Amino acid sequence: MRGENKMKELTSNSTTSISQARKAVEQLKMEAYMDRMKVSKAAADLLAYCDAHIGEDPLIIPVPASENPFREKKLFCTIL
Amino acid sequence: MCDQTFLAIVFGPCDKCSNEKPLRAVYIKSEQLSYCSLCVEMMATEGLHENETLASLKNEAESLKGKLEEERAKLHDVELHQVAERVEALGQFVMKTRRTLKGHGNKVLCMDWCKDKRRIVSSSQDGKVIVWDSFTTNKEHAVTMPCTWVMACAYAPSGCAIACGGLDNKCSVYPLTFDKNENMAAKKKSVAMHTNYLSACSFTNSDMQILTASGDGTCALWDVESGQLLQSFHGHGADVLCLDLAPSETGNTFVSGGCDKKAMVWDMRSGQCIQSFETHDSDINSVRYYPSGDAFASGSDDATCRLYDLRADREVAIYSKESIIFGASSVDFSLSGRLLFAGYNDYTINVWDVLKGSRVSILFGHENRVSTLRVSPDGTAFCSGSWDHTLRIWA
Repeated sequence: MRGENKMKELTSNSTTSISQARKAVEQLKMEAYMDRMKVSKAAADLLAYCDAHIGEDPLIIPVPASENPFREKKLFCTIL
Repeated sequence: MCDQTFLAIVFGPCDKCSNEKPLRAVYIKSEQLSYCSLCVEMMATEGLHENETLASLKNEAESLKGKLEEERAKLHDVELHQVAERVEALGQFVMKTRRTLKGHGNKVLCMDWCKDKRRIVSSSQDGKVIVWDSFTTNKEHAVTMPCTWVMACAYAPSGCAIACGGLDNKCSVYPLTFDKNENMAAKKKSVAMHTNYLSACSFTNSDMQILTASGDGTCALWDVESGQLLQSFHGHGADVLCLDLAPSETGNTFVSGGCDKKAMVWDMRSGQCIQSFETHDSDINSVRYYPSGDAFASGSDDATCRLYDLRADREVAIYSKESIIFGASSVDFSLSGRLLFAGYNDYTINVWDVLKGSRVSILFGHENRVSTLRVSPDGTAFCSGSWDHTLRIWA
């Protein structure tokens, strides 16, 4: 990567660096003009999702040991 | 088959050449036009317009970066943990190692769960890839790769195949067969070809496409059947270390993290980078989407994990402590997104309260650095792999 940057310096007026600079400007324009939401609203949505699903989260609200195949004390057997 | 699986975001007549092609938005003299990718390339390599020099383009880029920061700061009205103050605190956690998977002869580098919530594939430095039944700890399949440091492995959504790769610069798919007479290695299919090591791979919603990330600084989308490159993603300035697909059924985006400290969100159909975030101080080792798909977490060598919200377009939380000085190698969310599990190079796993930003628990057990960590598909347990040659299932 260092070798590449050195080349960029030496050929600073070449077409590749111009096209790269143009592409960088296009990319930044697109990113700068995108629609954004306030953090308060975005955070509220994250909270709402958590709230809605926390009841089903087996690592937070543990299901009974008999239903969690990993918490069962005995060796797991299937009846064939 | 490739045509059916590959759709464009906007398809229509190009504003320049009038051909019917997939289009991208370009801005020329403050006007938004839609050009096909060929015309974008041609425009970018045309001679300089009047008043445009390399220096002026660089200045424009700098001022746009400033504008970007300004726009992002305008909406930063509150912190996530402040909003989360009204949320109930979590109770005490009892999480223990419930199974230990022993069998690898060297450092475990990567693992993935099967959709059946039971099988696990793991890969290690010695070139071995093993498929385990996590309930019984039995090994169901094992294959030896022709290279060492198998840094990436993934289970196909159907459960009928696995993909893996590493220092061989390739991603290979192995169909899983229970036929004792079949040699798994014989049916191997080479799908992806990069010019440097493979750091991460993931099947998309079907067995037909694979997304890869590589040390050559690019990500790529491949068709498994033909091995054809469907789309490549350029933008990272250094090795890409991790990727994660957005969770929705119709998901068309993925996030990648790299050694350039950037996390980038990509549109899979157009190959364009939609958003990028650069707040980490070191390599980003792992990225994972929040279950709703509106945010993602990252784990980095700078010893912090961070949460980025995609709609607010900024970092909204940092998970760090002064006492944690070793890098985080892998992160994953619990089913509801309330907990973030992070494996660190100091052999521990820290469990963070995503909303409040505090550490809920610290798990000890591994005897060397934790290199990979995934929560099971139904959220009942999570599995961690370590340089101590073992994998542990915690619940």
